[in-house]
Amino acid sequence: MTLTWLLLVPFIGMLAVLALPRSSVKAIRMVALGATGIVLIMSLRLLDAFDPSLGLQFEEQVSWIPQLAIFYRVGVDGLSLPMVLLTTLLSFLACIGSFSITDRHKEYFALYLLLEIGMLGTFLAIDLFLFYIFWEIVLVPMYFLIGMWGGGRREYSAFKFFVYTLAGSLFMLLAILALYLHPQGRTFDMFELAAKGHTFPVAFQQLLFIGFFLGFAIKVPIFPFHTWLPDAHVDAPTPGSVLLAGVLLKMGAYGFFRISYPILPEAAQWFSWTMGLLGAINIVYGAFVAMAQTDFKRLVAYSSVSHMGFVLLGLASLTSEGMNGAMLQMFSHGLLTGGMFLLVGVLYDRAHTRELAAFGGLGAKLPKYAALLIFFSLGSLGLPGLSGFVAEFLSLLGAFRIEHLQVLTMISVIGIVIAAAYMLKVIQQILLGPLNQKWQALSDMNARELISLVPLLLLVLLVGLYPRCLLDLQSPTIQQLLAHILFGK
Amino acid sequence: MNTVIRESLNAWWPEAWLSLGGLLAMVLGVWGGKAGAADGRGARAAAAVLWLALLAAAVALWRTPEATSSSLFFGLIVCDPVSLPFRWLALGAVAVTMLLIAASKELASAPRGEAYGLLGLIGVGLMLMAEASHLLMAYVALELVSLASYVLVGFLEERRSAEASLKYLLYGATASGVMLFGMSLLFGLTSSLSFSDILLSVDGMHQPMAGAVMLAVLLMLVGLAFKISMVPFHQWTPDAYEGAPVAVAAFLSVGPKAAGLALLLRVMGALEPVWPTIAPVVLGLTIVTMTLGNLVALVQTNVKRLLAYSTIGQVGYLLIGFVVHTDLGIEAMMLYLIAYFFMNFGAFACVVAVVNDSGSEALEAFRGLGRRSPVLALLCTLFLMSLAGIPPLLGFFGKFLLFGSAIAADHTALALAGILNSAIALYYYVNLVRLMYFVEPQRAGVLQPPWMLRVTLGVCGAMTLGLGLFPNALLQALRAIVSANLL
Repeated sequence: MTLTWLLLVPFIGMLAVLALPRSSVKAIRMVALGATGIVLIMSLRLLDAFDPSLGLQFEEQVSWIPQLAIFYRVGVDGLSLPMVLLTTLLSFLACIGSFSITDRHKEYFALYLLLEIGMLGTFLAIDLFLFYIFWEIVLVPMYFLIGMWGGGRREYSAFKFFVYTLAGSLFMLLAILALYLHPQGRTFDMFELAAKGHTFPVAFQQLLFIGFFLGFAIKVPIFPFHTWLPDAHVDAPTPGSVLLAGVLLKMGAYGFFRISYPILPEAAQWFSWTMGLLGAINIVYGAFVAMAQTDFKRLVAYSSVSHMGFVLLGLASLTSEGMNGAMLQMFSHGLLTGGMFLLVGVLYDRAHTRELAAFGGLGAKLPKYAALLIFFSLGSLGLPGLSGFVAEFLSLLGAFRIEHLQVLTMISVIGIVIAAAYMLKVIQQILLGPLNQKWQALSDMNARELISLVPLLLLVLLVGLYPRCLLDLQSPTIQQLLAHILFGK
Repeated sequence: MNTVIRESLNAWWPEAWLSLGGLLAMVLGVWGGKAGAADGRGARAAAAVLWLALLAAAVALWRTPEATSSSLFFGLIVCDPVSLPFRWLALGAVAVTMLLIAASKELASAPRGEAYGLLGLIGVGLMLMAEASHLLMAYVALELVSLASYVLVGFLEERRSAEASLKYLLYGATASGVMLFGMSLLFGLTSSLSFSDILLSVDGMHQPMAGAVMLAVLLMLVGLAFKISMVPFHQWTPDAYEGAPVAVAAFLSVGPKAAGLALLLRVMGALEPVWPTIAPVVLGLTIVTMTLGNLVALVQTNVKRLLAYSTIGQVGYLLIGFVVHTDLGIEAMMLYLIAYFFMNFGAFACVVAVVNDSGSEALEAFRGLGRRSPVLALLCTLFLMSLAGIPPLLGFFGKFLLFGSAIAADHTALALAGILNSAIALYYYVNLVRLMYFVEPQRAGVLQPPWMLRVTLGVCGAMTLGLGLFPNALLQALRAIVSANLL
C-alpha cells in the first residue's frame, strides 16, 4: 500500500480542503501543506527502503477492468523513483510558495492537490491505461491554475496548453490502443509489453513510436512543438510555473524512458539520429531565443527548452553515460528551474514587473536574493560542482561516443556557451549597475521564501558534488534498459 | 392466436404501461387545465400519472422474462437482448425530460400536461424503434416519434419555436417520404416486410436486382440518417434545437438518436449481404458527420446551437461503432450511448438552469458561473469534459472503446478522424469552461437550481464519474448482450 498512500494522501487532503469553509484560509493552507509534507516524508522513506539492484519494487496490482485486462498497477524502479522524489519535493516547496495566492484559496489548493495526484500517478503507473488517465488528469488542474490565477494573457495561455497537450496525447492514446490490440500485445502492462518488445514488427514499432513521440514531444517540449511553453510558463502563477517546468516537462521525457524505448526498441534505435538532431536544435535554438528575451520569466522558460535538449541528446545516444546524464539532467533541471521560477516570483511579487531592463543594482539592496540568484544562475549555466554540469557533461559524453551523433554533439556545446551568456546577462541586468531609484523600498527575501529555496540549493550542491547519490539509484535500471534495447536481453 | 397475443403482451408490459400512461396523461392534460394557468392541476395530474406509468414500466422491464429472440405480435417486433439497453435508455430519457420540463421556466405557461402525454408516447415509439423486426413497425414507430416531436418543438409561444417546428416537419416529412419509397421498393423486390424474410431474399440476389436493392437501401438510409442527424441530413438539427424548449432539445439530442441507431442496426442486420457495398458510403459520411459537426460548433454563440452541432459530432463518434461492423464496435457504441445519455442530459440540465436564471441562450450567459454557483459550474465542467473525452470520465472510456474497435477492425483512418475531431471539439467545450471560470459574472446573485434539476444533475454527474471509474459491470452486461446478439 505504500505507493497507493502516496496518491491517497493528497486525495484526502483535497477532500478536506473542499470540506473546509471558504473563509478559513489558514486551515486550507495548513491542510494542503500538511498533505504535501506527508507525501514528501513518505517518499523519503520510500527512498530509504528502495534497493537499486532489484528493479521494480513496491508493486501493487488490483484488477480494475478485467474485460480489457486493465489493472491498477503501480511500482517504482530506478527511473521513476527520482522523478517521484522530485515531484514530492517541488510540490511541497511550491505549496509554501502558494501562500502568496490571494484569491479563491479553496479552489486553488484543491486543484493543486489534484495536480500532485496526477503527477505522482503518472510516474508510478505501470499499466498503460492507468498511465494515460493520470497523464490526462494533470491537464485539467494545470489549465485552471494558469487560467484562474495566472497573469498576462492567462486565458489564452491556459487554453493553448490544454489543447496542445491533449492533441498530442490523443495520438498516444491511439498508439496505446494499437499496442493492446496487436495480436502479440493483449495487455496494458508496460513491463510485459517491454518483454515482448523485440517481437513487434519494425514497421509497426516505427508507427507507434511516432504516435507516442507526438504525445511526449509536446510535453517535453521538443522543437517545433514547444510554442505552448513560453506562454504557459510566463502566464502561470509562480507555483504553477515551478511545477510546469519542474515536473510536467519531465513527464514527457519520462515517457520515452518508460514506454517508447523499452517497448519499441528497434524503433528507438531507428530514431536515434533524429532524436539527437532534435536535441541539438532544442539546445541551440532554445538558448538563442532565451538570449533575446527581455522578460525574466520568458528567458527562464526558453532556457528550459534548451536544457531539456540535453535530455534528448542523452537519450539519443543509447549509451550508459548518455542515458544516465539524461535522467540526471531531468532531476537537476527540476531543481534549478524550480529555483529560478521561484526567484522570478520573489522579484515579481515585489516589483510587479519582470522586465530585465527595469532593474539594476539590486545586488547591494537585496543581498540574500542576490546570493541565491547568482547560485541558481551559475547552476543553470553549468558551473562545475553544481548539478547541471554533471548532467550535461554526461549527456554530451555519451552522445559524443556515438559516431553519427558527434557533429550534433559539437553543435550542442554551443548551447552551453550561450547559456553562460544569457545567465550572466540576467545577473548583470538585475544585480549589477546603478540602482534604479524606483526600487529603493524593496525588501529582501523573507523566511518563507528562503525556506522554499534553500532545500533546492542544498540539493543542487549535493548532486553537483556527489552525483553518485542519484546515479547509484538509477544506473542499474538504466543498464538493464540499455541491455534490453540493444541486445534484447 | 390468443396464446400469441398473451405471450407477446407478457414481454411487452413496459411499453403497454407507458402507452397507457402517455394516453392518460394526454387526456388529463387537455381536460384538466386550460393553457395559461401556470402549472394547473391538469399538468400535475398528468405528471403524476406518467411518473407512475414510468415506474410500472421500469419494474416490468426489470422483471421482464428472460429476453427471447422469438418475434412477438406475429413478427412485428422482437424483444431480444439487444433491444434491452435501448428500452432502458428510452425510459430514462422520458424520465429525465420530465424533470427538465418541470424545471423549465420558459414552459411555465405552456400546457405541460400535454407535453407529458406526448413525451410518454414518444417513449413508446423509441422503444418500438429498437424492437422493430418488420418494416411496417419500423415506419410506424419512426413516425410516432417524429409527429410527437414536431409538436414538442413548437411548444413555446414564440415565432421562432413555431418556425423551428415547421422546418423540422417539412424536413422530416420529406425524409420519411423518401424512406417510405425505399421501403416499398424493397417490398417489391423481396415481397416481404419482415426483416428475417428480407434477409433470406436479399441473400444471393444478383444484378440487376441487387442494384435495385442498393437503391432501396440508400433511400431508407435517408430517413434514418435524418433521425440521427447524420450529414447530409443534419441541417434541421440546429434550427429545431434553437427554437425548441431546452428540455425538448435535450430529449431530441438523446432519445431519438439512440433509437435511430438501434433501428439502423436492425435494418442493416436485415440487409447484411448489401453491407460490403454500402460500407464505404457510410464510412465516408461518418467521418464527414463528426468533422462537420465539430467544425461548425466552433463558431456558435448560442448554447443550444452549439450543443446541436456537438450532437452531430457525437453522432459521428457513435457511428464509428456501427461502421466497423464488429461485436466490439456494437458494444462500444452501446457504451458510448449510455455515456452520451448521462453527459448530454447533464449538460442540457445546466443549460436549463442558466436559461431559467438569465432568460438568455447566449454563451455569454454562462459567464462567471463558477463564482455564482460553484457546484453547478463544477458539474457542468464535468459533463463538458466527459463530452470532450477527458479521463477518468465515462465519455473517455466510451471513446476509448470506440477508437479501439476501429483499430481492431483495421479502420485506422476512422480512429485518426476520431482523435483529430476530439482535439477540435475540445476547443468549444473548453470555451464554455473558460466563460464559467475565467470571466467575471454579468449578473449578480447566487444561482440556485430547483430540485428537479438538482436530481438530474446529481444522477448524471454521479454516473458520468462513477461509471467512468468503474465501468466493469456495465461492460460485462453489454458484452453479454452483444454475444447473445442474434440479429
